Amino acid sequence: MLEKFQSYLKERLAITDEQAKEATSCLKSKTFKKGTVLLSPGDLRSDSYFINEGLLRYFSIDEKGKEHIIQFAPENWMVSDRNSSVFNEPSIFFIDAIENTEVLIVPSNFFADIQKLLPHILELNILMLHNSIRFMQKRINMLLSATAEERYLDFIKLYPNLTLRVPQWMIASYLGITPESLSRVRKDLAKKHFK
Amino acid sequence: MPTLKKVAAILNPPAPHMVGDGFRVHNFFPSGYKIKMDPFYLLDYNAKIEFSPTNKLRGVGVHPHRGFETVTIAYHGAVAHHDSAGNSGVIYPGDVQWMTAASGILHKEYHEESYSKKGGPFQMVQLWVNLPARFKMSTPKYQALANENMAKYELPNGDGLVEVITGEYNGTKGSASTFTPIEMYNVRLNAGAKASLASPANYNTALIVIEGAITVNETEQATTNQMVHFAHEGSVIEIEAKENSVVLFLAGEPINEPIAQYGPFLMNKPEELQQAIEDYNTGKFGYLEE
Repeated sequence: MLEKFQSYLKERLAITDEQAKEATSCLKSKTFKKGTVLLSPGDLRSDSYFINEGLLRYFSIDEKGKEHIIQFAPENWMVSDRNSSVFNEPSIFFIDAIENTEVLIVPSNFFADIQKLLPHILELNILMLHNSIRFMQKRINMLLSATAEERYLDFIKLYPNLTLRVPQWMIASYLGITPESLSRVRKDLAKKHFK
Repeated sequence: MPTLKKVAAILNPPAPHMVGDGFRVHNFFPSGYKIKMDPFYLLDYNAKIEFSPTNKLRGVGVHPHRGFETVTIAYHGAVAHHDSAGNSGVIYPGDVQWMTAASGILHKEYHEESYSKKGGPFQMVQLWVNLPARFKMSTPKYQALANENMAKYELPNGDGLVEVITGEYNGTKGSASTFTPIEMYNVRLNAGAKASLASPANYNTALIVIEGAITVNETEQATTNQMVHFAHEGSVIEIEAKENSVVLFLAGEPINEPIAQYGPFLMNKPEELQQAIEDYNTGKFGYLEE
């Protein structure tokens, strides 16, 4: 249950198995059935989720009832609502489980609390934040300037197996294109590559 | 004198799950029971259930396969099929569809429209038949075996009928071509009738009681929806129907190669799975409209 998160830390920090075990010993896991809503607008949630198994989705719903997917979180990803976890303001987003999912609950003070055990953990946390800002910058640029095909090709690099795990309309929602244009992109690729 | 094939276990159907919204299946293997059934990798059994009438299309949307064959055997209800190689058809009770995905195909399977609108009993078996490494990337193909054209062996005294899907039963050869030696029959027995089935001792062998109740090798009892799994000892199976019964018989020579599986792909090595995912994502499996 804690092994994946321990490996995650060990891949990023020069620490021993024992240190990884001790640092994570306070973490609890939780399982959610497919379809469970973990976060809704108005909620205050200080925890982050690290995905052991399964798939979560972070999204909003507009006034017309249309869903906009900000992030998919498959195995080894983390997802949290920064608005409520850091700024203590009610969330405007949803998180739900697309598959039966097991997560580790990572409290907001986790990284500060284990500093004594793992002195470089805060540097890692900062690096992770920069990484996620970089990811968001790229994603904004994609949404503003890239063609549907470029967005799709970028998506399959980032999330290679999600095309087998989520319906087309969700991928289209993530890419900010219509399901019809996603179909067209896939059809065009098949024309180019199918022999 | 051939010896009786030893029964290894009589297996109850594991808890069912839905595949799409059209198939409520009991997965006997690989997840339900850890039994040796190579070259058969997976068996999903939709035990007989009633579907209510609907105008909605129930089933499974477009999805890929690579590295194996899917075999669908219909007992009740009807399934419409379309694939990216341009094949389409409807599988009615008694029919079998043998689809060789091999290097890669996209397909979708839905309850056939007029069956859907009427509703009624639905019962199917879907098997994944593995391919040896050297055939995994061969060209996809499609064999539609309509019941009326299926090779049938009539048992003496009006005892019943053996529909030979593939392999050979008492000189009657099934028309489905396979990549490795496989015996697959639907055995339809009247109450009180007996039949002998055979497969070499090293073949992985099982039968499912689709309907009715049977005695196996004079001592073991199996009833509707149970699977009888055989040990690698002996070659002959004697079955006797306690009531009118339908039995699906499966036997195959094991391929004995490494297996790497992810979702709808069945290969030998993890890197071949990654390749399959990449090929699927970039359109190398072709295209099929939802």
